[in-house]
Amino acid sequence: MSRARYLAKRLLMAIPVVWLGTSMTWYIIFMGPIDPATRLLSEGQVRNPAAYEAAQTQLGLNQPPLQHYVDWLSSLIVFDLGRTWLLYQGSSVNALIMDFLPRTLWLGFWSVLIAIFVGVPLGFYAGMRSNTVSDYVASMGGIVWRAMPNFWLGIMLLAVLGSSQAIFGVSWETLGPNLTSGISGNPDLSYLAGNPLAFFTNIDATLEAIKKVAPAAIVLGSASMGNEMRIGRTAVLEVKNQDYVELAKVKGVSDRALVYKHILRNALVPLVPIITSEAFLLIGGSVLVESVFGINGIGYLFFQAAIQGDLPLVGTLMYVFILMIVGINLIQDVLYTLIDPRVGLEGE
Amino acid sequence: MSDTLLEVENLRTVFHTEKETIRAVDGVSFDVERGETVGLVGESGSGKSVTARSVLGLVDEPGVIEEGSIEFCGDELVGGNWDEHRGDIAIVFQDPMNSLNPVYTVGNQIKEALRIHQGLRGQAATDAAIELLEDVGIPDAARRVTEYPHQFSGGMRQRAVIAIALACDPDLLVCDEPTTALDVTIQAQILELLDELQREEDLGVLFITHDMGVIEETTDRVNVMYAGEFVESAPVDELFDDPKHPYTKGLLASIPGRTAGDERLPTIEGEVPTSTSEPSECRFAPRCPHAFDACESVHPERIAVGDPDADHETACLLYDDEFEESPPEDGVVADGGETA
Ligand code: SF4
Repeated sequence: MSRARYLAKRLLMAIPVVWLGTSMTWYIIFMGPIDPATRLLSEGQVRNPAAYEAAQTQLGLNQPPLQHYVDWLSSLIVFDLGRTWLLYQGSSVNALIMDFLPRTLWLGFWSVLIAIFVGVPLGFYAGMRSNTVSDYVASMGGIVWRAMPNFWLGIMLLAVLGSSQAIFGVSWETLGPNLTSGISGNPDLSYLAGNPLAFFTNIDATLEAIKKVAPAAIVLGSASMGNEMRIGRTAVLEVKNQDYVELAKVKGVSDRALVYKHILRNALVPLVPIITSEAFLLIGGSVLVESVFGINGIGYLFFQAAIQGDLPLVGTLMYVFILMIVGINLIQDVLYTLIDPRVGLEGE
Repeated sequence: MSDTLLEVENLRTVFHTEKETIRAVDGVSFDVERGETVGLVGESGSGKSVTARSVLGLVDEPGVIEEGSIEFCGDELVGGNWDEHRGDIAIVFQDPMNSLNPVYTVGNQIKEALRIHQGLRGQAATDAAIELLEDVGIPDAARRVTEYPHQFSGGMRQRAVIAIALACDPDLLVCDEPTTALDVTIQAQILELLDELQREEDLGVLFITHDMGVIEETTDRVNVMYAGEFVESAPVDELFDDPKHPYTKGLLASIPGRTAGDERLPTIEGEVPTSTSEPSECRFAPRCPHAFDACESVHPERIAVGDPDADHETACLLYDDEFEESPPEDGVVADGGETA
């Protein structure tokens, strides 16, 4: 009951965050040193007053700034995102985002998941066996893995997988689901369109799409994996020596239940913010990794819009990123309330 | 069959650090019988808690029980046989804030013990848990059983911990400073509760504290611990009436109300040393007001003193006939004046 209230409070608090972030974006783009209208025109057109005027009007920049701000903000709120100016000229931004976003989400989802399913258990394992050889091996591996830069790791992985036939005698392309379209590039998610349940029913397509992003997801999640491992190890070490764990042991709880029931759930508490803050990094990291692996995701779109000067699109994408980040924050709050009963009950 | 629950013989628990080996408990022996409360008293760092943890099998790397035996109901525990007796020895820790797992309800944690030791599940377990909470004096138990530890006050949490201990249906209860973290009024209530439960369940209790006042109220027999050793052991009345070891006298003198007239309570200067090797001296000598030459070179053995019927022992050279020094006149403590 009061958990629901806590979540409602967090949801309300997200509104000013979105508003503030979006307003700052508007200010930087439309009131900043770069005139969005000139960026949309070619050299020749800039000097043509009629063309310049037309661009200004289309962008709404000839209205009073406040009017423009309100218009812009309200169209974002109702997701009336208009059309692009430069990039994929004239296509609907909504359609563009719907086309690009799923690939990024797919990539992000698997990179978070792979990091969690490898990093956390490895960290917990190292923590349970602290100062043994297996702890040292796991910890060292985690640190080395974490220290490798994304772009380098990405290129190396592609190089190795590309010649896997020669190196391992097994070709990555034909191992498991067949990758007919090459080892990098877009995962084929079209089968999910309008039917998300196909994720479970059309297992072959799902596996193929996972295999397609797996190398990119591993690279994107590599730093998170290392972090989660380290924090997981520390968390277990800390919880392991708490009185309540010893009390449970004295009570006669089996070693197995001691680990799974009493230690791990408490050790997860400090991991939640780590995992969710890693998810923020993914948004930035995806720009790089999507370029290396040739995935047309939203990070790639943002990158293109920025270097080509499609400022209205940059602004719209910023809005999408802000929503994603706030969304991740809310997921974090939900996870907290699930794991830790103390959350939301302060002051009762 | 005798009523001895716990027999600790010459227990030595050491901690191996990179630099040295710390003898936290260095050759202590004591028994706890059914229905009896045995006290372990000393300053922090004297090794009382490590003694308790040794008895419970909670000594972990880098600590190890190096020597001695701990027999529970005739079964040797040293060497890892605690599992067979889990639940027979229960514990109440010092800090009730930390003794309960924060992410499970109090009821869940009591029921866990009930399931393991009494095979109760489901509604039967819930009912039993509520009953236990009532037994330890928690009002509105039916609602409390579904609450989390953070919704309990410190005193209530300690009661809940005691309920968990009882759920194991133990024979021996180890209380490690169970009231130190609590308010004075709550302290008295918890002590009363422990006393009541002990009589009802005929429990043996090993009671650890630094508080001589609590010792006087709760225990039958007292062991005074200093730097890993028992420097004096006696029935509680005998110890308070006729303390022999200078350390015991110092501890007694520092109880408020026992020293008449003085505004300031006498204290024992300095702190407990860390023992790292076989003793060749009296470990209390640097702080002892009566120390003489031999104290630096001879390790005192425990010898019988006081009332011959009382099983009163102390380890101090003043009482050893081999040496000429004799104990100071009764009642003289440190430089702190006369006891009442
Ligand atoms: S043996 Fe010596 S130093 Fe130790 S307590 Fe007795 S008198 Fe003091």
